[in-house]
Amino acid sequence: MIAVTGLTKARGGVTALADVDLEVRPGEVTAIVGPSGSGKSTLLRCVNGLETFDAGSVCIAGHQLAPGPQPPRLLERVRRDAGMVFQQFNLFANLSAVDNVALAPRVVAGMATEEARRRAIGLLDRVGLASFAAARPGTLSGGQQQRVAIARALAMEPKVILFDEPTSALDPAMSEEVLEVIVDLARGGQTMVVVTHDHALARRTATQVVELIAGRITRLGPPAAVLAG
Amino acid sequence: MRDMRKSGTISPVAFLATVALTFAAVQTRAAELDEVRARGMLVWAADQEGGGPHVFPDADAPGQLTGFEVELAGMIAAELGVKARFQQGQWDRLPLLLGRSVDCVINGIELLPERKRDYRCSRPYYAYALQLVARRDGPIDDLEKLGAPGPGGRWRVGALTGSAAEALLRSRHDLEVDVIGYDGTIDSLEQVQSGVIDAALMDDCIFNFYADRFAELRAAGRPFGGGYYTVLTAHDTPRLAVAIDEAIGRIVADGRLKTLYDRWDLAGRQQVLALRDAAEIPAADRRSFARLAAEAMPMLLASAGMTVLLACLAFPLAVVVGLGIALGRLHGPPALQPLLAAYVEVVRGTPLMLQLYAIFFLLPKVGLALPALVAAIAGLALNYSAYESEIYRAGLKAVPTGQLEAALALGMTKWQALRHVIVPQAVRLVMPPVTNDFIAMFKDTSVCSAITVIELTKRYSVLALSTGRIVELAVVTALLYLAMSWPLSILSRRFESRQERAA
Repeated sequence: MIAVTGLTKARGGVTALADVDLEVRPGEVTAIVGPSGSGKSTLLRCVNGLETFDAGSVCIAGHQLAPGPQPPRLLERVRRDAGMVFQQFNLFANLSAVDNVALAPRVVAGMATEEARRRAIGLLDRVGLASFAAARPGTLSGGQQQRVAIARALAMEPKVILFDEPTSALDPAMSEEVLEVIVDLARGGQTMVVVTHDHALARRTATQVVELIAGRITRLGPPAAVLAG
Repeated sequence: MRDMRKSGTISPVAFLATVALTFAAVQTRAAELDEVRARGMLVWAADQEGGGPHVFPDADAPGQLTGFEVELAGMIAAELGVKARFQQGQWDRLPLLLGRSVDCVINGIELLPERKRDYRCSRPYYAYALQLVARRDGPIDDLEKLGAPGPGGRWRVGALTGSAAEALLRSRHDLEVDVIGYDGTIDSLEQVQSGVIDAALMDDCIFNFYADRFAELRAAGRPFGGGYYTVLTAHDTPRLAVAIDEAIGRIVADGRLKTLYDRWDLAGRQQVLALRDAAEIPAADRRSFARLAAEAMPMLLASAGMTVLLACLAFPLAVVVGLGIALGRLHGPPALQPLLAAYVEVVRGTPLMLQLYAIFFLLPKVGLALPALVAAIAGLALNYSAYESEIYRAGLKAVPTGQLEAALALGMTKWQALRHVIVPQAVRLVMPPVTNDFIAMFKDTSVCSAITVIELTKRYSVLALSTGRIVELAVVTALLYLAMSWPLSILSRRFESRQERAA
């Protein structure tokens, strides 16, 4: 599903990623852990082209990303296949919960408005928020916002979902709400990459764990092996 | 022009203050005959932009003025035993200079009953008639032609703002004409020639003087109607007024006026015969304010309607163009960005008045003659688009970058993300400053009077100066402006409080 080979990126003369190799197979959940500033988020953002890299290659869902700026058309295709969930949720502040979920299917996939809304309500139901369909993001709690953001990513039926610190901005109770949704998705066989420094999250969802320190992969293996030490 | 944009409701207040100052200036005492003699100088006011044959810059000696009234002023001053000194002023506001820096006004001021209420009118020094001027190849060859609508509907006829010619056109309800007011008669001739208007009405001596320069124009019919030119002085200088009357009497009697007019090719013997017996001055016109207000209200309301029309058509255009510029500068092709930045700097850095002049008077010379209303709307929209683009640029930059990333991460193109996510949020953010600019535009519409569009301030100015009810009409006008800006201020505050609640 994802094959990262020799990925290298420097930012302001400092190495952000050094010769990173990573493979994610369909149905797998990969957790990327490591201290702050170790390059976890940068690695994730290189995978869907939100950031460029200097050397190596990324193959994702059959699309090939090369170093440097990539053509917009290619990036749009990559991102349709790779949904993303952000630390700060980034729900569209001008739209209600249901419209946040329905927007991309309507605009990007060309779905009819009614159909898109109907499906969006189904997805909100799946994350337990069907009754909040008309709510504005500003009126929802952090945990609720993050669950809407997951529904929004699911709406495009991505082959893989990239999570960038999905619970870091949440208190423990709200983290748990979000964690349950992610566990549920993993059980359903959804391919996912989760950047986190929450070891509980990694332990409960991941099939493989990658530890990144200073832009290098230091350990890689099943959760029990990597997270024990 | 834009200094009051911080607060929307200040405009009527400032407007009143300006008017009150003008009024106060009129009240200061004018210099009497002995003071004029003591300083050895008679200061007379005229508008050199009004043109020939009255007062205009000498083509042979730049910096010098010439014209028959320049010579007449010299003669009158000599009769008083002093020198003449010229003072420039805008024609329809010349009387307001009396008692400030000016002793008398000599500039084709028609002897009309309503003038006598506020100023002392001398015995006449020139008998004018009105001349209709139209294109040689056009259908208008007589005033009566204007009694039936033309091929394009009502005829558009220009006249000097505040002149007897304008008053006559407005009073002739039997004519199918829309009257266009100009600040200079030459402007109206230019516009007839370029086809923007159908005809112009003016004092016969003016067209006689400029006929050669406007070879494509012709006198449409014989001169008609008309009256006398008079020298205006302030009411509180009776001895100066009598001295001027006596001076004119001597200049008429001893043939110097005839010689002067012969030299300027102004008249023959009928001028002198007319003036010899024309010492009679019409009685002052006194109307109650209630009657005046009742008469003026429909005109003021119609002009307020023009102000609303200008702002409501120009502002949405400015907003759309401004948003386009802002998007182009932030997200457009790199080659386009410096061009858009240059557009904003040029438009922001030049006066609205100049832009309106360019659109209205210069574009016809390259074959694009826009009607005044279209030119005014285009000018306002052009000018404000630069300001709106800066507001929208700030608004677009204020939307968090995470919003754009989230949209892109769903596979949207940049333009889809801008259209569905970023722009709607930016529009909401900038609502208060944009509403504020909308209020500001209501005031700026007054500049459009320079290109013959009569809106509220211009209508007030014409009514106030022709009736002398400067303060009373100012109150009425200010209330009309307030009625326009207040609802917008309330709307603006509501947007702001809604945003504070949302934040």
